[in-house]
Amino acid sequence: MPTSKTLLLVLLLAGAAQAAAPAYDFFICANINRNYVIGSKITTLNGVYQRTDAGEWRHIGYNDTGITAVAFDPRDHNVSYTTAMNGLWRTLDGGQHWRMCNSWDMTEGRDVAVDPNAPDHVYVALTDGVAVSTDRGQTLVRKENGLPARGKYTQAIKVDRTRAGRVLAACEIGIYLTEDGAQNWRQVLPTKETVNDVQQSPHDPKLWLAITQSAGAWISHDGGVTWQNLPGVPSDRALYNVTFDVTNPQRFAIGSWAKGVLTTEDGGKTWTDRNAGLPDGHCVWRVGVDPAGRLYASVVKETLYVSDDFGRTWKKDALEGSLVNSFLILPRAAK
Amino acid sequence: MNRLILSCLAFATATLLTAQPSFEAPPPPTAPVQDAGQRHEAYLKRVDEVLDWRAGRIDITQPDKHLDMAAIAVLLTRGEHYDVCSQRVIEMMKDPGTGPFWMFPAVCVAYTGRDKLTPEAQKAIREAWRTTRQLRGDTENHWLMYYASLYLMAELYPNEPAETWYSGKSSAENLAESREYLVHWMDELTTSVGQGEYNPSHYIGEYAIPMLFMATWAKDPEMKIRGRMMLDWLFAELAANTLNGVLRGPNSRTDEGSVIERWNALSSYFSWLLFGNTPPTGGYGGWGVYFAPVAKNYTVPEVIYRIATDRSGDYVQRDRARTRRYWRYSDVLSPPVYKINYLRRDYAVGSIQGIVNDAIQGHAWDVTWAEPDPRGKHNTMFSLHPHSSMRAMQSQFATYPEAMITAVTFEGKPSYDSPDKVVGASSYEKIFQDLDTVIALYDIAPGTRFEHINGFFSKDLVNVTEDPSGWIFAQGGRTYLAYRPLAPYHWIPYLHYNGGWAKEKLPLGGRLLVSPHLKNGTIVQAASVDEFADFAAFQAAIKALPLKYSLEPKPTVTMKTLRGKQVTFTYGQTPVVDGTPLDYSKWKLFEGPYLNAEVGGRKMTITHGRLQRILDFNTLTITDHVAKSPTGPYQNRLNSGHAETGPCLAFS
Repeated sequence: MPTSKTLLLVLLLAGAAQAAAPAYDFFICANINRNYVIGSKITTLNGVYQRTDAGEWRHIGYNDTGITAVAFDPRDHNVSYTTAMNGLWRTLDGGQHWRMCNSWDMTEGRDVAVDPNAPDHVYVALTDGVAVSTDRGQTLVRKENGLPARGKYTQAIKVDRTRAGRVLAACEIGIYLTEDGAQNWRQVLPTKETVNDVQQSPHDPKLWLAITQSAGAWISHDGGVTWQNLPGVPSDRALYNVTFDVTNPQRFAIGSWAKGVLTTEDGGKTWTDRNAGLPDGHCVWRVGVDPAGRLYASVVKETLYVSDDFGRTWKKDALEGSLVNSFLILPRAAK
Repeated sequence: MNRLILSCLAFATATLLTAQPSFEAPPPPTAPVQDAGQRHEAYLKRVDEVLDWRAGRIDITQPDKHLDMAAIAVLLTRGEHYDVCSQRVIEMMKDPGTGPFWMFPAVCVAYTGRDKLTPEAQKAIREAWRTTRQLRGDTENHWLMYYASLYLMAELYPNEPAETWYSGKSSAENLAESREYLVHWMDELTTSVGQGEYNPSHYIGEYAIPMLFMATWAKDPEMKIRGRMMLDWLFAELAANTLNGVLRGPNSRTDEGSVIERWNALSSYFSWLLFGNTPPTGGYGGWGVYFAPVAKNYTVPEVIYRIATDRSGDYVQRDRARTRRYWRYSDVLSPPVYKINYLRRDYAVGSIQGIVNDAIQGHAWDVTWAEPDPRGKHNTMFSLHPHSSMRAMQSQFATYPEAMITAVTFEGKPSYDSPDKVVGASSYEKIFQDLDTVIALYDIAPGTRFEHINGFFSKDLVNVTEDPSGWIFAQGGRTYLAYRPLAPYHWIPYLHYNGGWAKEKLPLGGRLLVSPHLKNGTIVQAASVDEFADFAAFQAAIKALPLKYSLEPKPTVTMKTLRGKQVTFTYGQTPVVDGTPLDYSKWKLFEGPYLNAEVGGRKMTITHGRLQRILDFNTLTITDHVAKSPTGPYQNRLNSGHAETGPCLAFS
């Protein structure tokens, strides 16, 4: 039987731990305008949504059907960047005004990342390479030395939070790494077809995961320098994205059109199909995990689904008809 | 009673006014109008016909139902109902569209109404360009419309700060970016390595209309003359690739309706408007109405008119273009396309060599014949591999493998994943053409979706004969046709999508030859009925041609063509003609009796008889020459008179 003093101590420690736990913001980029084609009217609210503390999705920013990713300045979340069909957009005032950062020579931004250790530096994944801004998006230049002349279609780009200028790019023919702010790139994982996502663990900065179109999933324990295949993940169909769980370092999830939701709760050693309760066909566009450890799955032509038990059971969330292009979780900023 | 009479009168008047005279009338004569004055008068009359028709469809008492931006632009051009137009503009600008198909109509209204709309209406237009993000799109025509529109709006509202534009860029920045792209598109792409969207059946409007706006409204004289020169460039290509006003041969991007009913395309509207040699399409092509309010600011040069209307002799036009951008799975961003069109009085044969220009909407080859009245006629013969491929989608689009195939069927491309489709390109098809002989070979990988080829046999063919020799003979118009399938086949009824956005297939007649074999091929020969004593003589001539073919290990054809060429063509290898391999690398940007341009030259020479116009984008000059005698390989039979312009007039 614990004494009252012990209980008090436990409660105090628990309270202290809770206070020390980082607070996160959770965002999605959602396209809700089904069957939109160029020229038709946008009849629904698309773009960036933030999960409120009340558990609702609040639209922020601009109504754009083609937003693929969003990134925030860690110093001030009023400064954010979105990639979309036109390229890269930036706001400095919380979405009141936006600027298209690129000119005509860049298009169809696929992903965007801000360097947390050099927050003026912004990296953009493009259909034909990589562009970098060192002035908060005011100017944008291609930095592709070391990327192949062809094969540099870049689907995802992520900055290593431990060191300024260290960036991984998920490209058509593999993963490329720069350690000098995109002055030079080198291939660290060759693939035959596109690497669709690359992510850094929120728990262990040396741990990275990548998923591919036809080569399954890969893990790196040395900051993305070397990669090992995850044998429990199928490679016969394309995998669309991968995510960590900020509440549990052993839990990862993968989304796939053909394979639905795959999860692991032992750091990638074993993987389980978590499609029971999802609509037939379980064409999953993206998965994400919110700050409370809830797992989300964006199911094509359906809605957003949410699971409180990491995929064992599912229920419908809001945003009927949505297609989520990205989930983003990041430490809450002072502003 | 009075109200009833008035209603009846109003209905009768509306019916009369909404008639489309040229659409409903017998087809116009195809012979050229010799007198320049008459020709111009007829052009202005056609422009007025479009304006009258569009205005006649408007019930001004119901502006919310009847006044779209085309109607407003027409009324403003005609000087009518400024107040109603202004009020309607204010309403429409509360809910603007997003993207180039909204932008250029908005520009049309902004400019036609800049001295006619109320200040409030003009302010509403301007405000929409601040509040609503405009999507640039992902195709060549999207970008041209986007940047031409943004350029003109930035010129209309100069010196305004970044926060007054949706782009977050100042007028000067928008102007500079737009100008850079437009000049790049003209100088580095179209006039150097060719258009990605060449021979466009519908998209010609998306090019011609913004260029007409530029030519008319740009303040910068450089951009103004660039617009005018590009119009000549586009219409010269149209003129050289039409027969009786109907676009022929391969298309970079087209749709089901106009692949089969060749006349039924926006290009026919432009032929009618500019050359007067075919009926316009219904509703004047829809988008075509936006050309009309400004059309009187452009007159097609006589040399282009002559090219469009002279089919007194046969000719080959060989051109180079490029594909849509390959983002992935290609060694080259936009590989070159080599296209050929052979035009005769009775028919045309055209092709590209087999590269995938546009997986969804490409049309690689066909034989099309002339019809006295092309409306409703399925005047074409071709085969294709109806390929549906996730990898092809990923090559040209930023998409994941599984998603796009289902998505495109909602986006005006309903047939993409249908086994019986008749439009779309396949990497498993390789094509050779010499004059009116086409050999299309197929080597389809096992497991490919789909594992057969389709051959199109029109309802308008007569005397279709499956000969024991293996040839299928037929006649279309005044053209004899011989189609040789290289593998067994069966027939299914053809069901017709009447255009890209059509949702239903219609049983209008015709058949598809379906050959379910991976290694496959088609040979087509065409000839005019005038060349043979009768149909039997044509068949005998075809059957007498030496022909050897095999399908293993690669489909191969060795034959003598109807025109006496000895040809060997193996799938995936360079064709050999009379012992000489074809060398596509030497093809020019344009090469033929009428249009000539060097790759990288930024200059087109347009020639007909004694007339010559040179469009030089290096110097931004239009130079007209009138030779003392006809020039070029067809000088002896080309009309040499009727020059309107003096020698060596240069505009810059």
